[in-house]
Amino acid sequence: MSFLGTAWLVARKDLLIEFRTRSAFFAAIVFALLAVVIFHFAWDPTTVTALDLAPGVLWVIFTFSGLLGLHRSFGVEEADRAIDGLLAAPIGREALFAGKAVANLVFVGAVQLVTIPAVALFYDLPLLGGAMLPGLAAVAALATIGLVAVGTLFSAMTVNTRLAELLLPMLALPFFVPIVIPAALSTARLLAGRPLGEIRGYLEMLAAFDLVFVTACTLAFPYTLEE
Amino acid sequence: MPPDNVAFMRAAYTVALVVYALYAVTLWRRRARVRKELQRLSD
Amino acid sequence: MTTPAARTAAPTAPSTARGGPDLLLAAAVIAVAAALVHAVYFTPTEAVQGPAQKIFYLHVSSAIVALYLGFGLLALTSAVYLWLREERVDRMAESAAEVGLVFMSVVLLTGPIWAKPIWGTWWTWDARLTLTLFTWLIVLGYLTLRNAIEDRAQRARYSAVLGILAGLLVPFIHLSTTMFRTLHPQPILLKPSAPSMPHEMVMSWMYAQGAFVLLFVALLRARYRYGEERDRLRALRGEEV
Repeated sequence: MSFLGTAWLVARKDLLIEFRTRSAFFAAIVFALLAVVIFHFAWDPTTVTALDLAPGVLWVIFTFSGLLGLHRSFGVEEADRAIDGLLAAPIGREALFAGKAVANLVFVGAVQLVTIPAVALFYDLPLLGGAMLPGLAAVAALATIGLVAVGTLFSAMTVNTRLAELLLPMLALPFFVPIVIPAALSTARLLAGRPLGEIRGYLEMLAAFDLVFVTACTLAFPYTLEE
Repeated sequence: MPPDNVAFMRAAYTVALVVYALYAVTLWRRRARVRKELQRLSD
Repeated sequence: MTTPAARTAAPTAPSTARGGPDLLLAAAVIAVAAALVHAVYFTPTEAVQGPAQKIFYLHVSSAIVALYLGFGLLALTSAVYLWLREERVDRMAESAAEVGLVFMSVVLLTGPIWAKPIWGTWWTWDARLTLTLFTWLIVLGYLTLRNAIEDRAQRARYSAVLGILAGLLVPFIHLSTTMFRTLHPQPILLKPSAPSMPHEMVMSWMYAQGAFVLLFVALLRARYRYGEERDRLRALRGEEV
């Protein structure tokens, strides 16, 4: 079976499971919305404007709700040692990784699709103008690819360790910082109405990160599954 | 006239030396414990 | 596709006399003491910055050792382990991480003590301090991961993967924090002395740097031997090494 075919099958399996149970997705959405509300109440609008606060809020929420989904990514395979079935199947390890990563991508993307309008609503952000939506989409896509590549690998590594829920964020967050910085800075520029050309440097950096870490994590993944 | 901030210098040097010393001491104690056990087992 | 299991023969006896005095460490301690005494008492005080400037010799020397020797060795041995699957390489990685963490901690503690009188603020997101903070967090994560895995071969493999990824991350941390920094106001009080130092200060720095390199090597060797002995004990007890 081809690489793409296998990856798609794995992704579809994960997404179907999630679609039927919806537990992690709901948890992530609820978390995101609550966080938006709490950030709002913790904010003094006389000292910080909405445009200054919103990018940070968005990316903090994406990172932490993303972690919720990522933990579940290999967590589902723990029950009944389902992972053994996956490993016994004649599928390439890299394809397995790609499938898991794609499922996570869809998951985090879905959370973003809900969170961004919510934040726009609560903070009264001018989202529907000019380059903003395509720009935001580009930033979100590039950044999320990086988050998911690293997060999926670390999810595989931490799933059957002690303190897995602590270890995943602990390992992943330092890797998320070089993503969040250009992402938040781009978002800030876009929300301030700046043209797309101004965020090109940030997008290039995100693309470079994605290139390096998608490759590295895909290559490293088989090492986490050896018996 | 240089500013009078010698207290910071002393604080930094003390902190650094304490950390290095503490690490060396704990390493030695861990090692002593393991060696004692090894000695006991090989008797 | 099977891969060779890690070579885990019981560790051989340590290479120096057991229980003999560690002369290397003694030499290192003397060197550090001499270098720091030289820095404090026999190096001119910087006129603008005052005696607090002398923290530089301690802080920068430790930082260079922590980042280049400690972290660099960690990343390197991680890569070599995945290639050779040699238990000793993994043990070296573990030792480099632990000793490196100690040096990084000193950097992170002395940095603010230095920054406050020189820059007027306890913390600043300058390149060296930020990178040290991140590598400190990563190495802490590395050691926590090691602690959380019981199986020896798996622990070595996973640690190696993390070590390599961490090495790849460093340039991105540097880039992104520089990106961040250029947008935020930097302290403009006093520029800490670096390139344009008078000759005596450069010499003091060289002595301190050499002494701390020696200290790192001595502690690394001691920590490695402890690792050998600990693993030998576990093997004897029949525990998973």
